[in-house]
Amino acid sequence: MQFKRLISALLALTAVPTLALADSSSRVALVPGGPHPYFAAWEQAGADAAKKFGLGSADYKVPQKWELGLQNQMLESLVTLGYNAFLIFPGDPVGTVAIADELADTGAPVIALAGCLKDPSKAVFCMGTDTGNSAYLGTKELLKELGSGAKIAHFTGFLVDPNTQLRIDAVNKAAAEGGAEVIQVIADIDAPEPAEEKINAYLAAHAKDVDGIITTAWVPAVVASSALRKIGDKRIKMVGIDHDEVVLKAIKDGFVHGTMLQNPYGQGYIGSYVADRLRSGCKVKADAPFKSNALTDKFIDSGTVFAGVNDVENYVGSMQSITNTLFEGFESTYLDC
Amino acid sequence: MTDIRQERSGAIGHVEQRQSSRLTLLRLLLSNEFGLLVLIVLFALIFSTVSPAFLSKFSLYALGRTAAVNIMIGFSMMVVILTGGLNLSVGAIGVSAAMFGGLLMEAFGLPWPLAIAGGLAMGAALGALNGVIIVRSGLHSFIITLATMSIFFGVMIFLTRAESYRDISPVFTGFGRMKLFAIVSPLLIVSVLVAVLLSVLFRYTALGREMLATGANERAAELSGIRVNRMITYCHMLSGILAGVAGVMLVSRTGAAIPSMAGQLGQDWLLPAFLGPVLGGTLLTGGRVSVLGTFLGSFLVTMLTTGLLLMQVGAFWVQTYLGLLLLLAVLLDLFRRSYLTRRKLI
Repeated sequence: MQFKRLISALLALTAVPTLALADSSSRVALVPGGPHPYFAAWEQAGADAAKKFGLGSADYKVPQKWELGLQNQMLESLVTLGYNAFLIFPGDPVGTVAIADELADTGAPVIALAGCLKDPSKAVFCMGTDTGNSAYLGTKELLKELGSGAKIAHFTGFLVDPNTQLRIDAVNKAAAEGGAEVIQVIADIDAPEPAEEKINAYLAAHAKDVDGIITTAWVPAVVASSALRKIGDKRIKMVGIDHDEVVLKAIKDGFVHGTMLQNPYGQGYIGSYVADRLRSGCKVKADAPFKSNALTDKFIDSGTVFAGVNDVENYVGSMQSITNTLFEGFESTYLDC
Repeated sequence: MTDIRQERSGAIGHVEQRQSSRLTLLRLLLSNEFGLLVLIVLFALIFSTVSPAFLSKFSLYALGRTAAVNIMIGFSMMVVILTGGLNLSVGAIGVSAAMFGGLLMEAFGLPWPLAIAGGLAMGAALGALNGVIIVRSGLHSFIITLATMSIFFGVMIFLTRAESYRDISPVFTGFGRMKLFAIVSPLLIVSVLVAVLLSVLFRYTALGREMLATGANERAAELSGIRVNRMITYCHMLSGILAGVAGVMLVSRTGAAIPSMAGQLGQDWLLPAFLGPVLGGTLLTGGRVSVLGTFLGSFLVTMLTTGLLLMQVGAFWVQTYLGLLLLLAVLLDLFRRSYLTRRKLI
């Protein structure tokens, strides 16, 4: 329901006037690394962008498994099928560079979405959440609630994802600054089975030793929220990530302190629009004010915001505001058309 | 009288020759390899009819490039299956070998041929370690390689901190992206060469025959003087080398040695590792391999995936369709054999 509200509200973006002259031959493919609830909003975002801007199509194409080879194979098949613009969540920041460069060599604009390719690559830019910053801000929010001297546990994503190390470092940094101690990091659990097993086992044995939990990946956030609800002890404070119903309800019911929202819809919507503009002849400004992160110097933050119990009802508005701001100024800030 | 005898003898010889030729032809028709070849042609016709893009140059090139790696992964499992064992750590070994090769190139500045040799040596060492533990412990290779899969991958992730090596020789990465006659990937040629070498090993060398004899009946092999434990270790070592070749091919293709190239714990390689040899007719109980069958089986599986993607079958249905098509492939093979039997062609 919340997701539908998000979509409806973001559809209001179609009211934003644009001078864009769309190219109906633009066929944009939005390709995540594999199935994951985070990317679900891309499908609607692509469809909305195609309708609004008159693109030939903007289709969400999901590899059936998180497998780098499979994603590469899918991208190759999409080229063969005539797709001519690609928004890709890299299956691997380095391993996807080769295929992205091959796609770019066919003349198709390639944008890294939600996760970056490691420079150098032929991707036009990367638009996604500043994962380190999000983890840092989330931990700060948690420590506001806990105070110094707190002991926190960090549940995060796959170790093969370099973002995971950035998140771990950011949480450690925020904890050190706030006088807290990260007593446990559990990684490699951004999938239901390992997350259930490891989080539940950890909390069963050590719940009494922990004052707070920070989660920096979708599935651990959902599983930890459920676990805290089951335990029923509101002493342990938690800051999650993303907008899964389970997490949002746990916030409303007081089992979770808040969540760090990301902006997948905005990524897909704006990304599809920009891909079409690039095909229509626009160029990225030489002096575009890109940010830098550990992977690239061509990074655009798609936004992140903390949503506590008072913000949950209106979290859609928060994300809409971020997307709106980014979209309105995008062309003048980043493109020469 | 003598003439009649000679004529009769000549006629009998001629009949025997014809019967022998007929039997050879029937053996060919009955073979797994022929069945797979028929299926490859059949599915190629279906896919190219439904989606003409299937036969585009880019599509064929991409198919060959992907198949090349899958074939090598299949070989890596095949040489262990022939002993009646399994190697669940092919992915972990492959990625460890590739990462070691990348390390030698980037951190130690070794020329790419030496670095690749180092990577393959790492693959051989890890494979040999598997073999030694299996032989010494007497436990099934399933248990041992399940454990070493986690150990190899975990140590690799710990040592590299999940960081990739990108400073790879342009000559080497250029090889993986090269196009011969616009449609052939050199990686596919590497797979063909390895297939030839493996065929020679198992068909014409004493070592290969001893490996097969070990797989067919360990006790009998031991009684006939074959050092069974050594053969099992050699097979695992060879498996490690072949997994290393697959890893190195991926490095050449992606331009970097990356820890996630075979997924979590190297598990992404398990399906192609089993499908190729099993479809190709390698006996799970050991003692029989089919190098050509594994080659064709791996190619068929890769082609099915590519074809389904081009047909734009719903993303989450691809796996289901792949399973159904594989089942169909097996049933067609069964039908072919039973047809030949009914017609008394065997």
